[in-house]
Amino acid sequence: MAEIKLENSSSDQLSRAIEGISRRELLKKGGKAAAVVTVSSIFSPFFIRTARAATKTLSFWQFYAPNGASGLQSKWFVDCVAAWNATHDVKVELQYVPNNEYMNGTKLQTAFASGRGPDIFIISPGDFLRYYNGGVLTELTPHMEEEAKKDFFPNVMETRMVAGKIYGLPMEVEPMAMFYSVKAFDEAGLSEKDVPKTWDQFLEMAHKLTKGNRFGCLFETTPGYYQTFTWYPFMWQGGGDIATPDGKKSAFNSPGTVQALKFWQDTIKQNVASRNYLGGGVWDVVANLGSGYCAMQNVGIWAVSALRENAKDFQYGVFPLPVPPGGTPKSDLGGWSFVANAKGQNPEAAAKFCVWALGSMQEDSIQRVVDWCTKAKSDVSPRKSALERGTAAGGYSSAPMKMFKDEIFPTGRGEPRVPPEVYKTISDSIQACQLSGADPKKTAEQGAQQIDSFLAGYTGAPLL
Amino acid sequence: MDREKAPVFRVSRWMLVFSTATLAIITASPLVWMVSASFKQPNEIFNSSLLPNHPTLDNFRYVFTQLPFLRYILNTFFVAGTITVIALLFHSMAGYAFARLRFPGRETIFLIIFSTFLVSLQVIIVPLFILVQKMGMVNTYAGLIIPVTFNAFGIFLMRQFYLGIPPDLQEAAIIDGASYWGIYWNIMLPLSRPILSALAVFFFLVNWNAFIWPLTITTNQDLWMVQLAIASFQGQYSAAWNYIMAASVVVAMPTLVLFFLFQRQLVESIKTTGIK
Amino acid sequence: MDDQARLSVDGLEPPSGGGARRRAVQRRGRTYWTRSRKEALAAWLFILPDFVGLLIFVAVPMALSLSLGFFSVDGFGGYKFIGLANYNRMFHDPLFLESIEVTVVYVVCLVPGLYVTGLGLAMLVRQRIPWIGVWRSLFFMPYVVSLVVIALIWKVLLIDKIGFINQMLELVGFQGRSWLGDPKLALGAVLAVTIWFLMGYYMIIFLSGLQEIPREYYEAAKIDGANPWAMFTNITLPLLRPTSFFVILVSTVAAVSGSSAFDLIYVMTNGGPANSTSLAVFYIYEQAFKFNNYGYAAAMASSVVVILLAITVALFALTRGGRFHLG
Repeated sequence: MAEIKLENSSSDQLSRAIEGISRRELLKKGGKAAAVVTVSSIFSPFFIRTARAATKTLSFWQFYAPNGASGLQSKWFVDCVAAWNATHDVKVELQYVPNNEYMNGTKLQTAFASGRGPDIFIISPGDFLRYYNGGVLTELTPHMEEEAKKDFFPNVMETRMVAGKIYGLPMEVEPMAMFYSVKAFDEAGLSEKDVPKTWDQFLEMAHKLTKGNRFGCLFETTPGYYQTFTWYPFMWQGGGDIATPDGKKSAFNSPGTVQALKFWQDTIKQNVASRNYLGGGVWDVVANLGSGYCAMQNVGIWAVSALRENAKDFQYGVFPLPVPPGGTPKSDLGGWSFVANAKGQNPEAAAKFCVWALGSMQEDSIQRVVDWCTKAKSDVSPRKSALERGTAAGGYSSAPMKMFKDEIFPTGRGEPRVPPEVYKTISDSIQACQLSGADPKKTAEQGAQQIDSFLAGYTGAPLL
Repeated sequence: MDREKAPVFRVSRWMLVFSTATLAIITASPLVWMVSASFKQPNEIFNSSLLPNHPTLDNFRYVFTQLPFLRYILNTFFVAGTITVIALLFHSMAGYAFARLRFPGRETIFLIIFSTFLVSLQVIIVPLFILVQKMGMVNTYAGLIIPVTFNAFGIFLMRQFYLGIPPDLQEAAIIDGASYWGIYWNIMLPLSRPILSALAVFFFLVNWNAFIWPLTITTNQDLWMVQLAIASFQGQYSAAWNYIMAASVVVAMPTLVLFFLFQRQLVESIKTTGIK
Repeated sequence: MDDQARLSVDGLEPPSGGGARRRAVQRRGRTYWTRSRKEALAAWLFILPDFVGLLIFVAVPMALSLSLGFFSVDGFGGYKFIGLANYNRMFHDPLFLESIEVTVVYVVCLVPGLYVTGLGLAMLVRQRIPWIGVWRSLFFMPYVVSLVVIALIWKVLLIDKIGFINQMLELVGFQGRSWLGDPKLALGAVLAVTIWFLMGYYMIIFLSGLQEIPREYYEAAKIDGANPWAMFTNITLPLLRPTSFFVILVSTVAAVSGSSAFDLIYVMTNGGPANSTSLAVFYIYEQAFKFNNYGYAAAMASSVVVILLAITVALFALTRGGRFHLG
């Protein structure tokens, strides 16, 4: 409570005004004065607020709840900020925003629109263009050593860079794969050796695994940005893409896109995939795979730590995404990164913080990335040095983590950054085919037209 | 009166009791799942059995130990309670004026006020936030209370109610020499107890369950309201549903008790007193 | 009594007003302060607190927000005047037009649904039967729980195969459906949940409206030998007009721009499957807070407000301000 003080200036005026109003309205000559006292006394002592952060304190918004289920993760943030504050004049203050509100809510947008955005915050590649084009991302490159720049994997950095300059430092890499339930496999007389390599095998397998109250497989069904993220690798496998390499024209209308749309449609048409999910979403492995709702689930590497923490006894396996005939294995690399607000109180200090935390060659900076990726969570490290160190410490020795690091991560492509209008078009295309039974070929054509007409008037940083 | 009815009526009365009870239980049944889930172990949440196999109180313990839940409940009580009291007073005053007093431009002004009801909070949230920020109310109870106290819904509801009160009542009072404030305070307010109870329940609930505004206006967790806590439980990576449901039960309980206590006021017969 | 004496001296005791105003009253004497002037002054003072509050905290932000419809706004401080471009775009945006269609279906089903269920329940729980407080509370219970949690619960109850609803259907020999996953069914499912959630709320409004109808009317009708249906159509419905007017108007506005519709869809379907539950309010939200098109969102919101206002004005004109024959 030390930071709470009575505000004297404007709020007092307001409270006087309110007292005035209530007095005028309530006062009946000589009577009912008691009511006035009550009303005004309710107000006046409560114009308290936290002392406005001095310009020396930077706010850092993120969505890992203090305590709670993600205890290790929020502790990592707390430790990180404490270490910085112990050695720097400009302090950083953690500010927690609940997950859903952070990603889909109004809180961040309202803060930015009113010029009060956080000084430091975290974003995923899908949001990069929104903030970059809005001019609120600070360039981090000037604060980075040459060696450190090279320490980050290039396929991870691409979508956080514009014209060779770095605007965000990833704390994690989260590739997508398929998780399966060993129990469901056993019941269907299948084993690890039967793991499907192609789409056809996968569908066949899903049929065998669909039984009673269990679906054979599960892909994301909720419209929006996460669904497109999970769907991209299937498009890439057959050579499809959102836009041409220069980002000027749509490349969406291609055989690769059409077959990927059709593949997801087939899983629904053949009744082997659910149109719905349990828990928070299809990213939620415990609620779906863990509960026995499905036998195979399309989910990312974070599921390893989710299962480790919340379903310890659950037996599962991981395999890379199956490929279409003649396709190449692909995965999508998600993950969040630290960014500094260029319109904040002190962009330079904020940028220094980001680099100090995740992107310097200092011992503690590297170790921080190792800790996040192997202890707090289960992720591939975005830095070569941290990946080596994490491997040496046994962070990737379990079968699923080894699979992710050695087989899936190398086939990965950074999560695309596209303007919201473009992902909305792609999301609508997926939804139409998957759940409404629309014709994939026509849908891809229409989607491509919409993307083209958007790109014609688009002037922001290139799509990737 | 009812007791004097013929025996035939008694049979149909029991039919009525039976059907009301059945309908009420069906209506509330989805919430049984919520209550049941709040007593379940994490691994049981998604199995289809309605009752927990191994009931546990751990979820409730967790809810209270992981977050200062009691503080959030008290915050919410204070904020929702204050808004309700102020709103009841102001809205009944305005509602009375619109219904029973004649003045030039009455209908137009009422329509203008009503038109503020046509936008949702999301539409005005950015300018509203800037305004409230300029007034220095970010991270204050005042910021949680004042901006959301005023709304056209309450005025409209009170107006419709006062329209139903026979005008002769007011005329008689004026002839007796009563002031307008006197009429409002001594006649109209006591008459409107049922509708005020209804409005009190609505306002308290709406503000008890408020989410977007408290989230926007506070960054200090000491000022959090209960729905922020629930959203926070819900926002964890591995959705801890047993905790969400336990928190929801804790949060819903006070309001349900409040409703139970208030519902008697809602049907208090008023028309038998004062008017023939 | 002291109160009484003072009241009769002043004739009008304005509910407030400083000494200055009162002195003015006395100076000018009773000729200026005719009864209608006094009444108007009193009315203004009664309305003032709400009027000022609404002006500052709703009307001003509303005017600011809606005027953004003429600008291109990026949400990071960039504004550019673009005239009617946003409005023009609206008419060529198939997603917006689709969302209007969805909204119309939603309103047309929701408003009568709530009217019938709300009034029905109110008639039911108005009876004096044992434990009536408990039954009322049970009907009202859904409304007590936060919408987000309600949406989560129904998602589980409606889920494919293992959801409670589908299990029940299969038990009686029907085939389970994907209530929230099938574009043909999702809006219906959302509507049913919305009615279930809100009916207790409207039950209370009707209940307090019913209380206003003097019991004597029914007793007189009973003596005349009227049956229950005749009493309902000849006494209850006509005397319930101000309440009905309120319910219809409020539920229409709530269905178009209200948070109950928004929150449920936000959690249950996120506008899907295939945009089948993308209400206008949801699409506007998406454009503003997800796509950072605040200007475009403001243009759409203004149009929705104008449509609602037109409906309101029409309803007011038709019913003489919701007074009907009583005013």
